[in-house]
Amino acid sequence: MSHISECVIDELFVKLMSSTIKDGEVIFYGGSSPLAMIAVYLAKNTHAPNLVHIGGNPAGLDPRPPFLPPSTHDWTMLEHALGVLPIDYVFDLGSQGRIDRMFLSGAQIDMYGNTNVTAIGGLEKMKVKLPGGGGGAKLSCDIKNGVLWTTRHRARQSSRGKVYTIVSEVDFVTAVGHKTPSGSREELGLIGKGPEWAITNLGVFDFDENTSAMRLRYLFPDTTVEDVIENTEFEPAIHTDLKIVELPTSDEVAFIRNFDSLEIRKREFPPEELERKFALETVRQ
Amino acid sequence: MSALDISNKVISLEAAVSLINNGDKTALGGALSLREPISLVREIIRQNIQDLHIIGNAHGIDVDMLCGAGSIGTAEVTYVGFEFDFGIALNYRKVCESGQVKVLENNCVTLLNQLRASAFGLSYVAQKSFAGSEIIKLHPEFKVMESPFNGENVVLVPPMRPDVALIHAQYADTLGNIRIEEPFASDIILARASEKVIVSAEKIISTEEMISLKPNIPYFEITAVVEAPYGAHPTSCYPNYAYDREHMAEYVTATKGGLEEFKKQYLDKYVYGVTNEEYMNLIGGKEKTKRIEGWQGSIEEWKEIFTVGDVV
Repeated sequence: MSHISECVIDELFVKLMSSTIKDGEVIFYGGSSPLAMIAVYLAKNTHAPNLVHIGGNPAGLDPRPPFLPPSTHDWTMLEHALGVLPIDYVFDLGSQGRIDRMFLSGAQIDMYGNTNVTAIGGLEKMKVKLPGGGGGAKLSCDIKNGVLWTTRHRARQSSRGKVYTIVSEVDFVTAVGHKTPSGSREELGLIGKGPEWAITNLGVFDFDENTSAMRLRYLFPDTTVEDVIENTEFEPAIHTDLKIVELPTSDEVAFIRNFDSLEIRKREFPPEELERKFALETVRQ
Repeated sequence: MSALDISNKVISLEAAVSLINNGDKTALGGALSLREPISLVREIIRQNIQDLHIIGNAHGIDVDMLCGAGSIGTAEVTYVGFEFDFGIALNYRKVCESGQVKVLENNCVTLLNQLRASAFGLSYVAQKSFAGSEIIKLHPEFKVMESPFNGENVVLVPPMRPDVALIHAQYADTLGNIRIEEPFASDIILARASEKVIVSAEKIISTEEMISLKPNIPYFEITAVVEAPYGAHPTSCYPNYAYDREHMAEYVTATKGGLEEFKKQYLDKYVYGVTNEEYMNLIGGKEKTKRIEGWQGSIEEWKEIFTVGDVV
């Protein structure tokens, strides 16, 4: 047993992402996704030992890296792997509808779960060129379930007024959510079910089955509905059974700290977010 | 391919890169921090080749450096950045935002299928639809259609046939047989799909040695081979060496002050007029190579490689 009395937001965040995974699922994630990578390891070592882990860009099968590297396309991500899957194999699994869950992030995420990692302002009125979506545009259409995440769910003031990460409509649809300006997933004939969850630093959202829009399902111990509304461009629906997220166990926190000893996960957060700490229950089964 | 006539494909770095023309569709091998053809990239910059139409999946310093040198006219890539190590690739961002580089952002799956169409000798490959993503709108050459067999929505993508692919490998022989260690990124399909293929290799070995290693790209695909030890530096070329994070930090620092400053701080120092021997000394000589080769020593030494270097 570990004796850790509190966790930091990054560790709680990993736990939340990990909780979305069901045992036996085939899981994939792209580059630049340290929180997702750790979440998969945590799940595999706790509630989902039978998940099939396709380890990101180098696509090692069920790798057991000695530590999490800052760049995903590294041989650390192939240590103790059951071989390396060729890139076409992984993408073809997607097209066959055999990737159960993938984690996708966005510089903008909209109410229907579309994400923008291409350009703020879109390409015609480009304000900021973002790095790009890798394989996300296509995989977001194919995967059975998507999990979206952002650690930057705070509105900020700029010369253009209030700028949001969680927006009414993304400036450019890189990866596809439940409903796009060109139509719904059903109308577009996409095979996957779309995003199941959107996890942010203010709360956890699901998507209302009738409206396809984001709906607040969980708050953090230190966030309120008002925080969420103030920092979201649209007014999100609130689930009738709104709850507070469950904290990780001290063993889970110890696992995360031990595995990600270089603390790559913390780089996903603005420094002020990392001040957020949560007391763990002292007695746990 | 006329390359079949050549019994010794090993030529100088200068001669190999002179096979690339202004405006060529140029595909880059490797990905992110892995085995990118950086010695070829530096030579492209020295030869001042212009207006390249770059093809690639997820990339980093290779595309960013070419952007910083003004070598690129069009970027048909899926990602350019430094992940959660150093974040945004600033040169790429600047030239995209200024309009100097035309952004034809693509998707890894679609690009793979386009390369397959080229390798298959077909006029298109059909893939499951990704309608809804505006990446499709950047590519009027993609056609959304109904399958004549079951009515499902499909996207037809035409072949992508790069004029030249640049690949860095662990081994080559004089015939042009190539041995790459996993992961291959897109390199194998790139070699099949491209018009010309230029390979830089850590080591030229005999064909007898190549047979025992088992080549994974056949010689008849290859146009030219260059011997380039540490030719992927500062990206990794495992098992030979890991990623040089310390150098990457210096690179990223040099991109902070804009394109002119980047030329002064980085290109003048490490690229223009710099021979490979000089480059190796500039990056830290034997002390540096010993460190990036030392990843196999222990987990602690491997980890250490990822902790050195600060962006200032």
